[in-house]
Amino acid sequence: MAKSEIYKPIQARVTSKSPMKLRADFLKRIFKDKRAVVCILFLFIVSIVGIFAPIIAPFDPEELFYDSILEAPNKEHLLGTDAIGRDLLSRLIYGVRVTLTVSLLAVAITFFLGTFIGLVCAYVGGWVDNVLMRIMDILLALPSIILALAIVAILGPSLTNAMIAVGVASIPGFARLIRGAALTIKSSMFVEASRSIGSSHSWILRRQFLPNVTGILLVYTTLFIGVAILDTAALSFIGLGAQPPTPEWGTMLSEGRNYMQNAWWLATFPGIAITMVVFAVNFLGDALRDIFDPKSSG
Amino acid sequence: MKQFILNRILSGILVIFGVSIFSFLLIHFIPGDPVRIMLGINATPEQVERLTHHLGLDKPLLVQYGQYIANLFQGDFGTSLKTGRPVLTEILDRFPETVKLAVFGLLIAVVIGISLGILAARFKDTIIDKLCTVFATLGVSIPSFWLAILLVMVFSVKLAWFPIANGTNFRDLILPACTLGVVASTMIMRLTRNGMVEVLSNDYIRTARAKGLEDRLILFRHALRNVLIPVVTVIGLQLAGLLGGAVIIEQVFNWPGLGTLALGAIMSRDFPLIQGTVLFMGVVYVTINILVDILYSVIDPRVEMGVKEAS
Repeated sequence: MAKSEIYKPIQARVTSKSPMKLRADFLKRIFKDKRAVVCILFLFIVSIVGIFAPIIAPFDPEELFYDSILEAPNKEHLLGTDAIGRDLLSRLIYGVRVTLTVSLLAVAITFFLGTFIGLVCAYVGGWVDNVLMRIMDILLALPSIILALAIVAILGPSLTNAMIAVGVASIPGFARLIRGAALTIKSSMFVEASRSIGSSHSWILRRQFLPNVTGILLVYTTLFIGVAILDTAALSFIGLGAQPPTPEWGTMLSEGRNYMQNAWWLATFPGIAITMVVFAVNFLGDALRDIFDPKSSG
Repeated sequence: MKQFILNRILSGILVIFGVSIFSFLLIHFIPGDPVRIMLGINATPEQVERLTHHLGLDKPLLVQYGQYIANLFQGDFGTSLKTGRPVLTEILDRFPETVKLAVFGLLIAVVIGISLGILAARFKDTIIDKLCTVFATLGVSIPSFWLAILLVMVFSVKLAWFPIANGTNFRDLILPACTLGVVASTMIMRLTRNGMVEVLSNDYIRTARAKGLEDRLILFRHALRNVLIPVVTVIGLQLAGLLGGAVIIEQVFNWPGLGTLALGAIMSRDFPLIQGTVLFMGVVYVTINILVDILYSVIDPRVEMGVKEAS
């Protein structure tokens, strides 16, 4: 996917407001933007569907209906059934859990390690920055899907390993972006003032760096969620992620691909589900980018 | 200019050196005994010992790396465990197919991206512009493998215009290239649109309009040329991305390129082949990036000046 769009740097807006005030300010700005509100609402509903899947789903995702194999969408099975008679809608609903959990955990790996590396590089500078950034450059020299594939090759195919692979593969790009933003903050007057009065490194990092990169972190993290959903689904699709019978959207698409000629619904609905969720996440990311960096809006 | 090109090449060589360390270490990152994993649980101790010796894994790490690099310089990327053929031969057999797919995909991306970008900028803030923005967001949101399936369902299964993935003829190339092209076009479209909007608000465009020049002439002769510099850069980067990142599409369409080779190697745990393809893709990616940077500095000398000022 066109990841380079994500790697568009955002200028850090340095402010000395208190973290509490900054948070309130962020929320106010986010909830003023209609696009952001609609996307948040949609993603909230999707998450609720995932959380309450056992209540909402009409059937168990692994229940077999032997008399309804490859049945087209009908009153009983709203989205039809698959090749061994499982209800597609129920599997899609349970799939929300798997897909979102795995993607969010992958992004958490990217977020924590990427932010840590980015902030340390910017704050410490010198040889630490040089060494870490050269390592990031080397990892960035490989397309992220190749890096993810290499990691899965090492760890072996499974959903957990796909999650780790997708999370780790995004760290270099994320760290580089956070480093860029943090460098702007490092050169601001109030950080220099804190240093000159002897504030500890951890205090400066926690109280001055983090609050000022929150907006940027929010934008990048949102955009990386979209990438994580697509990449984990892609790995599952080629058999290196979730394994059947796990109701994961990528795996479901892969299964549906074998029945393109006589059961169009199998490959259609999981694709629509992935696209809608990633579309909402990306649209939200774009809206957040416009909110936190109006100059970048096109 | 010479200094800039030299610096760029040197930093590229350093990165390639780093990628070689990464690809070398891949086998050492495997938890447990890599040779046992490659051979499977039924392997005899003799087989394990023989392969360990063959791969040089019984030597100290530094010696292994030295040997690995020395072999690379002689064009020896190792031997595929599955086919017994040299890894480089396997790669070079498949690479032309990947290039063919990537170049054709890029061509489609450029045509769609630049046309829609111009259209969106010309009709800024109208429904056309908004539809183009939705297309761009949709393009980065749709899983490329699903788009591929949709295209096959419509154009191969329903309409029977194209074959269902099984060859390397021109007709087999169209659907995978279209899939890659549509996804890659979104970035080009956004850049063209934003650049055009900026350029169209310049004084010289207003003057051209005041002189009564035709809209078409203003758009293509005066505005587009100034927008193309960053677009050309992105097109180059997209090519690098497509050469390395078309793995999934190659797999969907059964296209015999580097992607399917890499996937097959991962599935069969053929580590010499995995190492070789990772290294090869890294080298291709870095080389294209360097070429794009150099091309950019040739088209727009401010880039080189920017580097000088920064240093």
